[in-house]
Amino acid sequence: MNSRIEYWVKIPIGPIHPALEEPEKFIITLDGERIINVDVKLGYNLRGLEWIAMRRNYIQLMYLAERICGICSFSHNHTYTRAVEEMAGIEVPERAEYIRVIVGELERIHSHLLNLGVVAHAIGYDTVLHLSWLARERVMDILEAIGGNRVNYAMNTIGGVRRDIEEKHKRAILDMIEHYRNEIMPKIEEIFLYDPTVEARLRDAGVIPKRIAVEYSAQGPTARGSGVKKDVRYNEKLGVYPDLGVEPVTPKEFTGVIKGDVFDRMVVRVGELWQSMELIERAFDQMPEGKIKAFAKDNLILLKLKKADGEGIGRYEAPRGEVIHYVRANPGKDIPSKWKAREPTFPNLFAVARALVGEQVADIPVAIASIDPCLSCTDRVAVVDAKTGKRRILTERDLLRASIAKTKELNPEVSARPEVVGVGCPRGDLP
Amino acid sequence: MNIIYATLGLIGLYIYVSLASLLWEGLDRKLVARMQRRVGPPLLQPFYDFLKLVSKESIVPRHAGKMFELAPVCALAVSIALLAYTPFGFAPLFSTRGDVIVFIYLLTLIAFIRVLGAINSGSPYAQIGAQREMIILVSREVPMMLGLFAILWRLNKLGVSRPFSLATFYEHNIWEIGTPLTFMGAVILLFVFLAWLASEIEVGYFNIPEAEEEIAEGPMAEYSGRHLALFKLSNALKEFISASLVVAIFFPWGISGPLGLTGAGALIANLLFHTLKVFAVLFVSMSIFRAITGRLRITQAVQVFWLRMLPAAIIGALLIAIDLMEVIA
Repeated sequence: MNSRIEYWVKIPIGPIHPALEEPEKFIITLDGERIINVDVKLGYNLRGLEWIAMRRNYIQLMYLAERICGICSFSHNHTYTRAVEEMAGIEVPERAEYIRVIVGELERIHSHLLNLGVVAHAIGYDTVLHLSWLARERVMDILEAIGGNRVNYAMNTIGGVRRDIEEKHKRAILDMIEHYRNEIMPKIEEIFLYDPTVEARLRDAGVIPKRIAVEYSAQGPTARGSGVKKDVRYNEKLGVYPDLGVEPVTPKEFTGVIKGDVFDRMVVRVGELWQSMELIERAFDQMPEGKIKAFAKDNLILLKLKKADGEGIGRYEAPRGEVIHYVRANPGKDIPSKWKAREPTFPNLFAVARALVGEQVADIPVAIASIDPCLSCTDRVAVVDAKTGKRRILTERDLLRASIAKTKELNPEVSARPEVVGVGCPRGDLP
Repeated sequence: MNIIYATLGLIGLYIYVSLASLLWEGLDRKLVARMQRRVGPPLLQPFYDFLKLVSKESIVPRHAGKMFELAPVCALAVSIALLAYTPFGFAPLFSTRGDVIVFIYLLTLIAFIRVLGAINSGSPYAQIGAQREMIILVSREVPMMLGLFAILWRLNKLGVSRPFSLATFYEHNIWEIGTPLTFMGAVILLFVFLAWLASEIEVGYFNIPEAEEEIAEGPMAEYSGRHLALFKLSNALKEFISASLVVAIFFPWGISGPLGLTGAGALIANLLFHTLKVFAVLFVSMSIFRAITGRLRITQAVQVFWLRMLPAAIIGALLIAIDLMEVIA
């Protein structure tokens, strides 16, 4: 075996590489075209968000949360407000929940259309990239009409939403859905379900088996593409989603088989485009009249939150997977003592890195694009002891022990004993 | 005296083909952009790119070998030499018996020089690109040569002045035989040649050695400035020359006959008409092909050539051969 190692080549993919939209680094060991090992290095896009957050109050944090990521700006904002609402026990008016559903699903449509284009670009199919991004312009225009901005629409506030969805918006959205149903979706289905080039490249590329998806805790379309029925909107009965009849989309409903490859992840995204449009229509049917926010003015929110104590966890199914925000109150102050966001890309990235072993170089860009990585969201944990200045990296074992302790504290009846999977974050040592 | 005229002709051809092939690049980018509902770059963008690259500093990596700097010059030199053996609506300038061998040899040599330059650049991306280029090179040449030699062999039976020369196509062409079997064989071989052309100029399915999203332009990864400009020019020439071969085999008709031109006027008219035909062939094999397909994996591309194109070429060649036997019998 040792004599073979000489033929192995290590090549870096990243931090700057045409296949990657954001800085991340994969060190890939190659035997010819075959991948022997994939090593993921993260932390190139660490912007110190949590440090910035220590100097912002609850209202300002909403804007910061919105700017974590350009694509899922609504998801982060939404999850953060859910966490704060849970922490302070704020009731959200029902109409506001429906408006959140509508904007969230519009965001899912634009994010999935974007990803379909990115994956097509990764296999060199640029026509699909340009046409799907052209189709995406329609939903971006709608979002601009509702929120005043193409990307950061700032719809959420603590205890509701800022802007109502009026009759003209409703008409525009229903027009858009009609347009997508009749003009765009048949073409997208033809490309991503039946096109021979797409099938040749995406089938059996970057296969994540169900077991790996569960062990690495893959999220969102990555997990659902592997057949794990995991969708926070469905599993956690989030907001008004149960009334709208949301179901996790798996490729089985479209192709009849679940392989867990890139093709299946794309099928899930196409299915979720259909699902999002249905959800928006149902939300319009069921949306009640009434207030859209619990507090008339923002300073009332701060007054209320100053008195809050405890902690809150917000969960939401962003287009890429489950986002979790954790907020701990600081009684007497309008600044939270801790705010922490957890991204779906982090587990997905390691799942896909594991899946790439044994595949070809040509599969790297498409497999990475298929999880729709959002590196600006993802960061890592390094604990610095303030007294001695020593840096310590928390390993998977430490984090697991802490997680078990926390779960026991929250709910002593949980009896499961998860074990260390053994891979964890390969970036073990700091300089 | 003759050799001086030929040399002057070669220089003229070199200038003309450089301009025409760069113009085609601009046309192609514009056409594909319109297919993708984009505006696209200006028509003369490849000229601007070339001029800008020529004026830029060329960065040589620390680990690069001698061939890294020699390869672009060699590639362009070989491309220019190749012009003397390429049919451009008239017989090649230096056409002799069996010059088709020289043509194929020089065409393959360009790819080989690219590989040498890439291996010498010391970049791992270029290494992978070079491996891919070699693999696809040995796959694509076999069906092409089989088809080319089958057609030339068939045309020789009609009686030509210089056997196995590319000038043959301006004396006889494969369509004038007219029997159904030859016609079918020729259509199959036309398909094989269009696929070969797409892989020769590395577009669509076969944009594998230079896959920008995978290995960052592969063999070209470390090239910049003047060296890159020379490679770009030699690539553009190669595109035009490869398409010229397809045009000469399957669409050799000139326009000077119907127009009643003779002498130098006939040559120029034929050259312009040939350029139009080359653009048409490249439009099918390059623009449309790269607009409607993505890139294959290297294993799939090799399978396309060995499992699809080679049998197709064998069938086409057999059809042509069987037809001849029936005529004899």
